[in-house]
Amino acid sequence: MGETTFQAEWKKGSAELLILSLVEARPRHGYEISKLIEQRSRGAVRFHVASLYPLLYRLEHRGWLAGRWVEKDGHRRRRYYRLTRAGRKVLASQLRGWSEFVAGINSITEAENA
Amino acid sequence: MRDWKPEILRRLAPLKLSPTREAEIAEEIEQHLDDRYKDLLAEGLSPDSAFRAALDELKNEDLLARNLRTVESELYREPLSPGNASSTLFAGILQDIRYSFRMMRKSPGFAAIALLTLALGIGANTAIFSMMNGLMLHTLPVRDPGSLVQILVHYPGDPEPGFSDFSWDAYQTMRDNNRVLSDLIVGSLNVYEVSAHGVEAQNIFGGNVGETFFEGLGVRPAIGRFIGPQDIATSAPVAVVSWSFWKTRFNLNPDIEGQKIITNDKPLTIIGVAQRGFYGLSNQAQQEIWVPYSLEDPKSSVALSGHLRPGVSAEQARADLAALYQTFVDRPNTNPFFRKNVVRVIAAGNGISTPVSQMLSTPLKVLMATVGLLLLLACANLAGLLLARGASRQHEMAVRVCLGANRARLLRHTLTESLLLSVIGSAAGALLAYFAVGALIQMFSSGRLMVGVPVRFESLRHLDVRVLLFTGAIALVTGLLCGAAPALSPSNTTPASALQSGMKIGETKRQRLFGRSLVATQVALSLVLVSMAGLFVGYLSHLRNDLGFERNNLLLVTLNFDHSNYNAAQYAQRTQELVRQLNAIPGVRSATLSEMSPMEGPGASSFAAAEDHPEKTTPVSINNIAPDYFRTYGTPLLAGRDFSARDEGGSHAAIINESAARDCFGNESPIGRHITLSHITATTGEKTYEVIGVVGDAKYNDLDQPAPPTIYRNLHQEQNLGSQLAIRTKVAAGGVANAVRATEADVLKNVPIAGMIEMNDQVDATIVPQRLFATLSSGFGALGALLAIIGLYGLLAYTVARRTHEIGVRIALGAESADVMRIVVRDAMWMICAGLAIGAPLAFWGKRIAASLIPDLPVANQLPIVIAAAIMIGVGLIAAYLPARRAMRVDPLIALRYE
Repeated sequence: MGETTFQAEWKKGSAELLILSLVEARPRHGYEISKLIEQRSRGAVRFHVASLYPLLYRLEHRGWLAGRWVEKDGHRRRRYYRLTRAGRKVLASQLRGWSEFVAGINSITEAENA
Repeated sequence: MRDWKPEILRRLAPLKLSPTREAEIAEEIEQHLDDRYKDLLAEGLSPDSAFRAALDELKNEDLLARNLRTVESELYREPLSPGNASSTLFAGILQDIRYSFRMMRKSPGFAAIALLTLALGIGANTAIFSMMNGLMLHTLPVRDPGSLVQILVHYPGDPEPGFSDFSWDAYQTMRDNNRVLSDLIVGSLNVYEVSAHGVEAQNIFGGNVGETFFEGLGVRPAIGRFIGPQDIATSAPVAVVSWSFWKTRFNLNPDIEGQKIITNDKPLTIIGVAQRGFYGLSNQAQQEIWVPYSLEDPKSSVALSGHLRPGVSAEQARADLAALYQTFVDRPNTNPFFRKNVVRVIAAGNGISTPVSQMLSTPLKVLMATVGLLLLLACANLAGLLLARGASRQHEMAVRVCLGANRARLLRHTLTESLLLSVIGSAAGALLAYFAVGALIQMFSSGRLMVGVPVRFESLRHLDVRVLLFTGAIALVTGLLCGAAPALSPSNTTPASALQSGMKIGETKRQRLFGRSLVATQVALSLVLVSMAGLFVGYLSHLRNDLGFERNNLLLVTLNFDHSNYNAAQYAQRTQELVRQLNAIPGVRSATLSEMSPMEGPGASSFAAAEDHPEKTTPVSINNIAPDYFRTYGTPLLAGRDFSARDEGGSHAAIINESAARDCFGNESPIGRHITLSHITATTGEKTYEVIGVVGDAKYNDLDQPAPPTIYRNLHQEQNLGSQLAIRTKVAAGGVANAVRATEADVLKNVPIAGMIEMNDQVDATIVPQRLFATLSSGFGALGALLAIIGLYGLLAYTVARRTHEIGVRIALGAESADVMRIVVRDAMWMICAGLAIGAPLAFWGKRIAASLIPDLPVANQLPIVIAAAIMIGVGLIAAYLPARRAMRVDPLIALRYE
């Protein structure tokens, strides 16, 4: 599946926000995160392994996520990522920035199309 | 199930991650691909297309590695083995620190002992240094402090360095005729009570100054003018104040000139403010006000300082000024005390001498040397511990070398460990020092008040950059000293032999000798510390007990008769009644009244001449006493009799002590002879007394001086109102305090008790520095001995553990347990004896140095060194006991399997 340049840029900017908001409610493992992104965007946004895991490690390195191996009975162990206190702050500010940005875009496009 | 691993690992390979990290990433991605594959199968894809679709997640060959590279380069740099070769010297220093912390956590007992040792050693050094810093290392902010000197007169035998106490005439003589000073500055240190309109009365430091004071010290006025010749000539009622006084009392009001202040009940007009940051001639007493020296008061004296001319030494200056001073005291009618005075010139760049500096500078120097020794001992101890541990880690080091660690890195790593210990130790030490300084100041403040200037110790509690630098520097030196030996020893390791010989990895002969010499050094240093402690404790006990009176069970009561309505006769009658009633209190053995009590503070003095030798005068101390004085104080009556009620009205009678008898009458009996006193303190007349008794010598005012020739006069005959009651008790002196209070209040109306103290406390208050020496040096001595025990024990325990195999062989071959014990004890005794052999001359030498600083120290006595040596042997045997017992219990069967 090919990506347009626009999509690639858009993903880069919002990827962090997407991942942080997905683990806000509860810890999730990598595959779960990628699947949720794909489902909730109805297939519009997809992260490949080659970009998802480096990003997770980067967020973990910054101290926004904390990864932990969790073993469940009868299953192989999985690495779960949860939002840290610092990550929660970043998420809040990114969400704020995002809604201001969307509101700004909307007011421009609505004015042009009115 | 598909195997994704090869695909993933191939893509991760270019990153050269550590094996653990690589495996972790691979596991996580493998699972992801697995999940994806199963989902795709569930969606109905064929296994092959599902496999391809899942692999598609990895995209092209190098995307994963490219994306991971920046993240992983910041993370997990840990190489295979700590100590791995790296390109730069400082690379991986954080890793070394982390590793050192891990090692500390692994052996908490070792870390705790090491840190405690260092904290105590460095803390003691920081505490003493910070006090020295506050006391004598601060240069005054004045012009050319390097050549600033203070001119003093010293009375021979006086323990204090002297007083700057000259008459105006003497000052003028020296000012106009000296060839050694570029200026002569009049400026004293006094306390003034200052108040002003809207400013509460307060005691502040200030000075009586001459016309060249400010100019000589290179100070400019911030406002107005300074004191000039016309102010001195007319004794003008003016004052100059400091910038901080202007700020705190007058809120920097620009109209400060002409403001009136009341100084010691005298109204003065402010004529100027000194430049900001100038606070006079002392670091311990910041002066806030300066008033002109008053020519009107004939008794007032001037304090002198000045700048040496270029190229003139203090000794040259002293000689020149002493000659000028001589011409002045040679004049007729000069007080004979002055003739004996010796001129001294001492450096004053760090401030003129004050009671604080006089009392503390010598003790601090001696203590600084002591704590320096203690730190050295701590270093030797820690080095020994690190060395023993280093030897037991030789195997580990060898493994690391085999795995490619380079030796510079290993050396640095060992140094990091000891530096880290010393840094944490210093932080704890600095904290310790902060509290220690508080405790020391409290101890100093328990001393007897000095005449003239109140003692202020705040300046000693002065933590500044210099102290921090000092602590940092000793932390660094300590860390390097402790770490150097063990750091050098692992790099000697030949990995092959170390790995090969397994348990028997041994030290070389040189290393073993080094370890032992460290223990011997500790024994030597603690011998010095313990013997010094013995010396000071012995000295203190000598001071406390060789008094000439009995200090235990003696209660002293000071009466304040300032507001009584009694006349002299009534007071004498009432006090005699009081003494009679005090004697009746159960538990009281005897009571007496006198003008002063021993060690109370400066007393009266005079010159005595025997009837046959009027030309030969002896300086004597004077006390006025009531009957029973000697019985109460426990001073023996050697000849003649005590005063009694029948002396009153008769001829003037006196009792003299042995020294006075010897000085005035030689070997002849003084009883019935006459003695004439002249220049009795604050009087000019002469008085003649008949000697009726001779008593033993007793200390008068200074414990560290021999008992002075003393003459006791009859209190009632002299019409003197005695204020010192002394009560000798059969029980503890405090036990009768309440009964004494009640009786006194009952007998003497309007004469309150101004103070009550036990003689023991009054004695102790006069010997603060000596008590300090004894207490601190005992503490340091005990600490030193403890460290030596730890060091000896550590080395012996380690040796026994290392020789378990050998000992097992010996036992198997028939050695008795006594033989085995002998091996260990002999080992210990060798180290102790070597230590004693090095330490004894050091202790002897240290005693000489201490004696040069503290006069009267009993240096001839070798007992402290002998006792200290015995103590070291005793504690050495205790330290050897546990390892020896362990050696005796070695089971040959187990020991031989040890290999």
